[in-house]
Amino acid sequence: MSLPSNKKKLEFAHPSEEAFALILDYYGIEWQYEPRTFPLEWDENKQVLVAFAPDFYLPQQDLYIELTTLRPQLSSHKNRKIRRLKELYPEVNIKLFKRREMHTMMVKYGLDSEAERIRGSEAQEKNG
Amino acid sequence: MTGIFDDVYGEMATDISEIILSQEAIQERVAELGKAISKDYARSNPLLVGVLKGVVFFMADLLRSITIPVEVDFIAISSYSPETRGQGFVRLVKDLEIPIQGRHILFIEDVIDTGLTLNYILNNLRARQPASLEVCVLFDKAERRLIDIPIKYKGFDLPDRFVVGYGLDHREKYRNLPFVGLLKPEVFQSGNKG
Repeated sequence: MSLPSNKKKLEFAHPSEEAFALILDYYGIEWQYEPRTFPLEWDENKQVLVAFAPDFYLPQQDLYIELTTLRPQLSSHKNRKIRRLKELYPEVNIKLFKRREMHTMMVKYGLDSEAERIRGSEAQEKNG
Repeated sequence: MTGIFDDVYGEMATDISEIILSQEAIQERVAELGKAISKDYARSNPLLVGVLKGVVFFMADLLRSITIPVEVDFIAISSYSPETRGQGFVRLVKDLEIPIQGRHILFIEDVIDTGLTLNYILNNLRARQPASLEVCVLFDKAERRLIDIPIKYKGFDLPDRFVVGYGLDHREKYRNLPFVGLLKPEVFQSGNKG
């Protein structure tokens, strides 16, 4: 598995993100990895307390994508952040690509090890 | 689980947990689509284009329900796979045989999910300057959409579940089932390539 040379220095937080990026590359979809961080909560001094950086941005579609391989019962924290992002930034288009959707995509493309990794994954949520 | 189909389709039917679209429901909806297309494209001699292989079942039934003169052609593209990962881009492995410049093109697809494949194909066809380019899809898994694709004709919305039949496959199997059914999780989670 390898990314184009101009993106090889990227460090993905999860192997599924790299697998997803390779699929986008194959189909000629332009993407950026975590290009923007959205502040979600501030303290009284206007210091950012909570922020959220969606995993991918597709410029041609003007769409942010957040991937999750978490089981639904473990992804409520991420869901809350996305709901809050939509409230604060209604002009932003964001899609949560859920665990089952990720698993189905990996099965569809015959990526058995990635599919198995997603199926076996538990709470590997990263900060952000 | 599929009743009388168990006797006819044997091990394929036993891999299905539930039929979600019957053969009759599919045929009825395909006939409705054919009627609408016949009305909208009267006197425009459209060219129906499909991408191999899953569309052949839908294309064959749809063509027989269309009552105006039409032409048909197929393309095929390479699919992403463990063998192609990280190596170049999607490419045409079979091109159209009929020139489409200035023609009214109706692209026929069995299923749209992420829209990645269809986006590539439509961009390719659009570059050939057809007079019009519209999409007719039988099964839409809109929940999984990443690329927004305008759809003129749609048969059914499908849930984001692993479904097979009527052209939809898992590892090239089950396409020839006449209905659409849910594949049992143990089948697609086993990593069985059989």
